[in-house]
This record gives sequence, C-alpha cells and structure tokens, in this order.
Amino acid sequence: MDTAVFRLDGVTKRYGDLVALNNATLEVGANEYLSFLGPSGSGKTTLLRVIAGFEAPEAGRVHFEGRDITNVPAHERGIGFVFQNFALFPHLTVIQNVGFGLTHGKSGLSSAEIERRAVEMIDLVGLSGMEGRGVDQISGGQRQRVALARTLAMRPKLVLLDEPLGALDANLRGRMRNELRAIRERLGVTFLHVTGSETEALAMGDRVVVLDRGTIIQTGTPGEIYDRPASPDVAHFLNRFNLFDGSLSRGSFTGAFGTAAVPQATRANRDVYAVRYDRMKVLPASASTDGPKLRATFIASEYLGSSVMNFFDAGHGHLIEMEHHLSLGAPDTYEPRQDYLLTWNPEQAIVFGREAG
Amino acid sequence: MTSTVTIQDRQSKVTRWLLIPGIVWMSLFLVVPIAMIVYVSFWTQTTFNISSDPTLASWKQFFTSDTYTGSLWTTIRIWLIVLATTFIVGYPTALFVGLFVKSKTLSTVLLVICVIPFWTSFLIRVLAWRPMLGKEGAINIVLMKLGIIQQPIEVLLFTELSVIIGMTQIYCVFMVGPIAFMLSRIDRNIIEAARDLGAGFGRIFWKIIFPLSLPGVVVGAIFVSVMVLGEFATSGALSGRKVNLLGNIIVTQVGSLKWAMASVVGVVLTVVMGIVIAGFLRIVDLKREL
Repeated sequence: MDTAVFRLDGVTKRYGDLVALNNATLEVGANEYLSFLGPSGSGKTTLLRVIAGFEAPEAGRVHFEGRDITNVPAHERGIGFVFQNFALFPHLTVIQNVGFGLTHGKSGLSSAEIERRAVEMIDLVGLSGMEGRGVDQISGGQRQRVALARTLAMRPKLVLLDEPLGALDANLRGRMRNELRAIRERLGVTFLHVTGSETEALAMGDRVVVLDRGTIIQTGTPGEIYDRPASPDVAHFLNRFNLFDGSLSRGSFTGAFGTAAVPQATRANRDVYAVRYDRMKVLPASASTDGPKLRATFIASEYLGSSVMNFFDAGHGHLIEMEHHLSLGAPDTYEPRQDYLLTWNPEQAIVFGREAG
Repeated sequence: MTSTVTIQDRQSKVTRWLLIPGIVWMSLFLVVPIAMIVYVSFWTQTTFNISSDPTLASWKQFFTSDTYTGSLWTTIRIWLIVLATTFIVGYPTALFVGLFVKSKTLSTVLLVICVIPFWTSFLIRVLAWRPMLGKEGAINIVLMKLGIIQQPIEVLLFTELSVIIGMTQIYCVFMVGPIAFMLSRIDRNIIEAARDLGAGFGRIFWKIIFPLSLPGVVVGAIFVSVMVLGEFATSGALSGRKVNLLGNIIVTQVGSLKWAMASVVGVVLTVVMGIVIAGFLRIVDLKREL
C-alpha cells in the first residue's frame, strides 16, 4: 500500500517474561478509521502506547509519514493520544485544557491565535458556551469531548483512542460513536481506536484489527471479519457465532450435532464448527431433518428492537443463541423448558480444522 | 409530610447528642482556658503578687519594651525562614517520594524513614545537634580533617543559624507528608497527556504538578507554622539563650510567676497564629481539595 501513512514492522514488546506484543506488522492508510479489537491483556493498549511513543519496543520499527519514528519522543511524533479516563487537567477550565498543548508546547502561536483554535475545536466537538467551565463541572460525555478537542487542537495526522467510550454509559456510548466518526470525517485524520467491544469495533472501523495474546490474528473490513473469521478465536471474540468442538475428518465434521458435510474449511490449530446466530433454525422436537440437528431446551428470549435473541441450552451448560431478524417476519414463540430441534444449512457454517487445506 | 418532619427531628436530636462530647471537651480545654488567658492578661501584677484588678499595664509594657517587641519580630523572622527552608528541603523530597517513586510500597517505606527520627524524644533530637554543630563537633572535625577549613566554624552553634538548622530538620517531615500525599494522588496519565501535548518538564511542573500539590503545601505550611511559632525548646537548647522567641518569654515569665505578662504574650502568640492560619486558608479551598 503506497498511501500508508503509518506502518509497524515486526514490533515486539516484552514486560519481563510476558510478551505483550509479538512481531506486530500493520499498515494504516491516510484518512482511515481503524479499530483494534481484543480481550483485555491481548496487547491492544500496549500497541497503542508503542505507537504513541510512551513505550519503546524491544524489536521492530515504527514508521510514520515516511519517517522512522521508533526513537522519536512522544511529543515530537505528531500523534495525538486520547486517554481512557480522559486525563484532563482537573484544575484548568475547558478552554485551558483544549489550549494546553498550543500554549505550553512549541506551537509558537500568539495567544489570540491559540484562543481562536481552541474555540474552533470546542465548537467542533459541540461544547460551545462551556469554555469557562471547570472540567469537574461537566458531564462524562462532555469530558470525553474536551479530551478529544485537546488532542485535535494539535492538528495531529494520527489520533490514538484508548477505549474512548469505556467510561461512558451505554446510551452516551452509542451517540459518541456517531460523533467520533463524524468528527473524523470532517477533519480527514486517521483514527486508531482500541476497544474490547466487538460491536464498537465492527461499527466504527473502516478496518478491524483483531489481537489475541500479543499477536495480530486478523486484519480486514468489518464485513470480511464477520463473514470470514480467520480463526476460532476471532469467531469467539465477535460474539456472533455458536461454536462447537468436535473433529474434522475427510470433509465432514463430527460434533454434538452429529455429522455434517463440510464443503470447505479454514486451517486452524483446533477443530471448531461455527454457525452464526442468525443462521440457526428452530424446529419442533418431533420434526425430522436431513441436516445437522441438535436437541436443546428453550430458556428465554430477548427483544432487541430489530431482532429477537432466543437462548437454548444444549446440555452441559452449552448455551446456543439464535437470532431472528424481525424484518424477516414476526418471531415464533417458544415454550420455556420445552425441547426443540436446532438445525442450519451446513453450507453456511464456518469450519476450522487441522486437516483443512 | 408528617413522617418527614419526624425523621428530621430524630436526626437533629441524634446530631445534638453526637456533638455534645466534642463541645464539652473543646469548651473545657480550649474556650475556657483561652478566655482565662485573655482575662488574666489584664490583671495587676506586683513583684510577689497578682490581683484581679483590671489594668493595661502588662499590655503597655509588652509593646513599649524592646525585649518583648524584639522577640515578636524574632519569632516572625525565624518562622518565615524555617517555613522557607522546610519548603525548599521538603518539596523536592516529597516530589521524589510522592511522584517519582512508582511503587506504592517503596514510597510508604521512604515516608516511614522520614518519620524514624520521631521515635526518639523531642529533646534528644534537639540536643543531638550540639555534638554535631559545636566548635569541636562532628561537622567542624570532619571539615578540618579534610583540610577544607583551618579554624572551626563557630557560628554553627549557639546562634540563630543553629536554631534554624535544628528546626528545619525537626519540622521538615511535616512539610513532606502532606505534599507527598497530594502528589501521589495526581493521575499519572495527565502528566503523560501533558508530555504528549508537547509541554516540557518545566511547564508540566509549574502548570500541572505544582498547582495540584498546592493544598499539600498549604497544609504542610500550617503544620510547620503552628509548631514553629509556639517553639521554645529548640531555641532554648541551641541558641545559648541568644534567640528569645515568644515561647521562651512565656516559659521564663511563668517560671518567675509573672502570670499577667505570660498571658499577654500568650494572647499575642495566639493572634499571630490565627492570622497566619487564616492567611494560608485563603490560598486554597481545602474543603474542595481534600
């Protein structure tokens, strides 16, 4: 990719014996929104801190705008960082916070110009009229905006956001998600957004980078990740697949549901059969079907507005989820504690196995 | 509505009961004695006797005598100097203990080390400075052995300097503690954020760290001020009676049963302390910060 603004080359970071980042290689284009998804401890925050320059990697290089910045201190990189807990200066007002970098850094701007830019940024994040407030006098969502404005005021080419929505309540999180994207589109800078929430990662990223135990395990558009998870772990993090253990041999997978034909499989270090929640079908317990079948007890359902989630117990605490999109018609209702037969079209399953080519 | 009133009534009753022990204690041992001192300062003092006939004689004597006004100014001068030296020595120490040391355990250990001298009695801590600072004391011996000086430095002991050295050492920890506490509460991320925004160490210190530690400085300054203004032991033991603080005057006056004069000095000292503390509390709103 020639348009890459930012490139990681085999970056490794250790804390003692713990490998926080293992040989991470990544290219990021200009004007892109990239989200990093991974469970806690997967190295996503470490990756962000290495890019920001708060941590030095043991091996590998970091390139930014055609320059090797591996040994360049954080503040000379021109990369902005938005902290998870916002890290606002508690004794300063909103405008003093936003203008801090311009006032006390090496911007060399006049105080009138600094104020103009700070006001412009406060306006951009929708906080006009709050310039003189103390940061302890505003709400969590407003603090988030101040933190963003403070970073954007420095006009960085790349903005790193460390779980920026983690400290907000669910309602606010949804609104800030749109807001963040809108602000980014207006400024045309690249955002790298770290999150532990698969919904957030898929919703916000132009591309999603999935990390596990310090290793980048998949990079792709949300659609690619969703339709073709590269490994059982990715499928697991996405939280949209029912996963079955079993064994793959000679084109068929044997698991709790019997044996199903496998037209194609992805190579992985263990045998896992994955079916998307919305590909599951529910039949009466007495029905007969040719496809894979699994007896399960209906537990409960959850109404989500655009769809209904149904939960089944397949025995031994194995929870199976089935999603019914309401656009496809009114949902069937099931009786709690009654047995049903779950099935699906085996061609829509995603199969991982050691045997796959 | 009726029930709300009942709950409020019950709560205010409980509040009153909880307040009683404190009010009784403070009245008996603070308000009444202070009122008594003010009252006694207007009594008539003769060489061997004191009577409760009201007079301004002791007050006039205090403000017209060079000895007494001189000791007021000495007290204020020593207080300001010790306040400055404890701050100069204490702030960097607190900065190290509270901010630069990353491990909480290590910073607690370091604070405990600061407090270790307090395991010995106050008088021993003061008197221990004599063999250190004396003409044939440790410092002079070492400096002469090293050939840095030929003659022992005599100003080290039984001067104002020795009082300042002694007080700085004794009261420094009261400055270190509160400042280190405030510094340790600063979120490390905001320092990182300031650095990321391009601020150098100087700017980060003066614009972020120092303002956020100011409540600690004020609390430390109040501790040091209250203790130094009422001091008499350090000046008595290390100045060879050359430095007379208001505290020393009270001790001598009480010793010679001059209760009226002792009371005047006591009232003056209390007023000075009140002004100093009120002044410090104006700098920061401690209720908001702590």
